[in-house]
Amino acid sequence: MQHSLKRRNETDSCFFLSRYRHRSSMATLNLSSLQALSSHRLCSSFPQNTPTPSFNFQLKPSINPRPISLKPYVSEKPRARVVALAVKSLGDTEALAVSPENDGPAGELPSGAGVYAVYDTNGDVQFIGLSRNIAASVAAHWKSVPELCGSVKAGVVDEPDRETLTQAWKSWMEEYIKDSGKVPPGNESGNATWVRQAPKRKPDLRLTPGRRMQLTVPLENLIDGLVKENKVVAFIKGPRSAPLCGFSQRVIAILENEGVDYESVNVLDEEYNYELRETLKKYSNWPTFPQIFVDGELVGGCDILTSMYEKGELASLFKK
Amino acid sequence: MGVTKEQVELSLKAKLNPSHLEVVDISGGCGASFVVEIVSEQFEGKRLLERHRMVNAALEEEMKQIHALSIKKAVTPEQWKQQQESNQSNPAA
Repeated sequence: MQHSLKRRNETDSCFFLSRYRHRSSMATLNLSSLQALSSHRLCSSFPQNTPTPSFNFQLKPSINPRPISLKPYVSEKPRARVVALAVKSLGDTEALAVSPENDGPAGELPSGAGVYAVYDTNGDVQFIGLSRNIAASVAAHWKSVPELCGSVKAGVVDEPDRETLTQAWKSWMEEYIKDSGKVPPGNESGNATWVRQAPKRKPDLRLTPGRRMQLTVPLENLIDGLVKENKVVAFIKGPRSAPLCGFSQRVIAILENEGVDYESVNVLDEEYNYELRETLKKYSNWPTFPQIFVDGELVGGCDILTSMYEKGELASLFKK
Repeated sequence: MGVTKEQVELSLKAKLNPSHLEVVDISGGCGASFVVEIVSEQFEGKRLLERHRMVNAALEEEMKQIHALSIKKAVTPEQWKQQQESNQSNPAA
């Protein structure tokens, strides 16, 4: 936009100069003996459109405001330069392929704050966004619309305050609009494809309809069916959204970080999961909670899951 | 009354005959939470889940009073040796 404004000023300036020369020529024809003086007067009087000599003399002070008006324009340049320094231009930034491997902590995408542009496999820009964590945002996009994520350009912004981030995003948007003549499809108003939707937390599973109902099947059978019908089941203390002990909290954090689809059961729910704790300890031959089952088999508790997570063994476990 | 660190050590030594054992009471001395690191030949050929079960079984009586047991390490002497060598090489790297 700065460049655009600058160009407009230049255009206007040429236009004014053209007019001035025209009038100057007329003045010369009419007042050849006062050519120099009349030229000066005409120049100063132009904004007012009053060519009479008496007014010309009075309008001399109007020369002063012009130098003052130049200062604000000059001071705007440093700001533009600051924005330019905050992030490379879109055209100068190198594109990185988007893939599940790149989404990981060892991926090439930066996890810092900044601006990013998502290209589809045809090399067309689909969306330009800003984020506090570029890698996380791109990972989220990949999960929701993988067919539109072919590669990404990322511009990290140091000292990312809100204004700087917004300025960086604007500079990339303006650059793209200038080059392509249109807005990226994902940034058009009304397009919600790229908006980060609130994560839908699964509800915890309940083993029974409630205390008032009489069980017709032994609790062991309900547990057995549950862990075999669902690929990953975590029996935890407290609800998934707010685990009540550190070990359960750790397990939920690991499962969420792995992005695995899992079920959770709150063993402290005395209304729907009563008597579950003692029954499950016998069923699994494991004395503590949380307990994690995969493919119907106990994997272990928080320690074992943490150990496998740190060794990078969970991906293969969940892919079986 | 809670379980003492010495009781935990005694039970593990009696049943698993460890070549290395470290028990830390992380509950400030009230005997409710322990962290365990244990090295034993009895873990040979067993996967992690079974090793943890062996430790749980060895502490069956104590577990009735323990609120939290964290088994940070359950390895064979050979694995323990490898880890020690790995730790020694780290500072040099």
